[in-house]
Amino acid sequence: MTDANPDLVRALLAESLAAWRVTGRVERASDGALVISGHKSIRIDPAPPDAIFRWMVTADGRMRGAISLVALLRQVREALDPGYAKNRVRIAVAPLVPSS
Amino acid sequence: MTDSVIPVSVLTGFLGSGKTTMLRHLLHQPDFSRTAVIINEFGEIGLDHELIEASQDSLIALTTGCLCCKVRTDLAQTLHDLLQRRDEGRCTAFDRIVIETSGLADPAPILQTLMTDETVASRLVLGGVVTTVDAVNGVSTLEREDISQKQVAVADRIVVTKTDMAGSFPPALRHRLDALNAGAPVVTADHGQTASPLLSGAGLYDPRTRSADVMAWLTDAATGHAHHHHDVEIQTFAIVREEPIRAVTLTLFLEALTEHCGADLLRLKGIVNIAESSRPAVVHGVQHVFHPPAWLDRWPSDDRRSRLVFIARHIPQRWVEVLLAAIDAEVAAVSAK
Repeated sequence: MTDANPDLVRALLAESLAAWRVTGRVERASDGALVISGHKSIRIDPAPPDAIFRWMVTADGRMRGAISLVALLRQVREALDPGYAKNRVRIAVAPLVPSS
Repeated sequence: MTDSVIPVSVLTGFLGSGKTTMLRHLLHQPDFSRTAVIINEFGEIGLDHELIEASQDSLIALTTGCLCCKVRTDLAQTLHDLLQRRDEGRCTAFDRIVIETSGLADPAPILQTLMTDETVASRLVLGGVVTTVDAVNGVSTLEREDISQKQVAVADRIVVTKTDMAGSFPPALRHRLDALNAGAPVVTADHGQTASPLLSGAGLYDPRTRSADVMAWLTDAATGHAHHHHDVEIQTFAIVREEPIRAVTLTLFLEALTEHCGADLLRLKGIVNIAESSRPAVVHGVQHVFHPPAWLDRWPSDDRRSRLVFIARHIPQRWVEVLLAAIDAEVAAVSAK
């Protein structure tokens, strides 16, 4: 979380647990965060500067890259809830800006 | 006539709440002389359409079965057929469509079809959702029937009917409606007649004037005030942002909302100050489907803040606020590189 407010990201993770109705907590872990729920813990670290990802998410012994906060949230939720079926509809705000 | 965008109004409300009476009255108004009406009735033999008398310039189509369950096929096909007949000059060149849902219909899939079906979405725009509520039985119906709560929650305008029978607009009903959807104006009807225009100006976006009746539904948004009621699951709240929002931030924000909220996001509507544009964008979503933003020619007032109104179930306002702030911070950081 080198170029983002780490407190804001941790706050987002904590609020996300509440929104998903998942019991758990979020702790500071170096420059990242540790999400703990039951016996499961998920570690989130900033990606190395030369990586194409922005975040590295480690859950169940496996590390995966996340390209954005939206991807980060998806990975954390999938790790917490294996039955979570994410909505695969993608939003295309097209055009991003009006033509005139 | 294929170049014009046709507004579609959805008239919904629980069984016996007075939809057909209201529609019958509306179709006698001069403004509704060129209206195509789609009436959905639950059951193989419908009766409602027999109760409707329309002018010769109006057109009535009938679907049976539960519209929300068969919406992907029946409604889309009916709309497509209507448009084709209009284009080919085989019927009156109607300039609006009214869909009367069955009393048991969930309006959300109907709205989604209007926004997403590729055969009709480019030709139609949601003109607004009008929901009828019975003054006599409304409180108990809303207490008992989840679908009636949803019908009220997604409304752009609420019509309390049968006040002539109830003798008044019951305070308990007003309280209940406020808890479910404080942003929607409430009018009363006497024998299906109201003193206020019902379907005009009820929607988010008027394609003819390229304006939005945002002031009507942003009444409470200016304060960011939330409306909760401890005994109802549905709540309304507004997110207000002073600073313009980047287009990419908005895209990612909407994507995260739809991914994580799904059916709990009953409706989202808002006007957004996009950083890259001087024109405001009107966004509109139902559950996991969002309409492409409509760009207004100008701001409707001097208030240039972004205002997003949520009608939701089990979605904490705080999470939505932090989500937007965090995504915006990330997009700003990436943009600065």
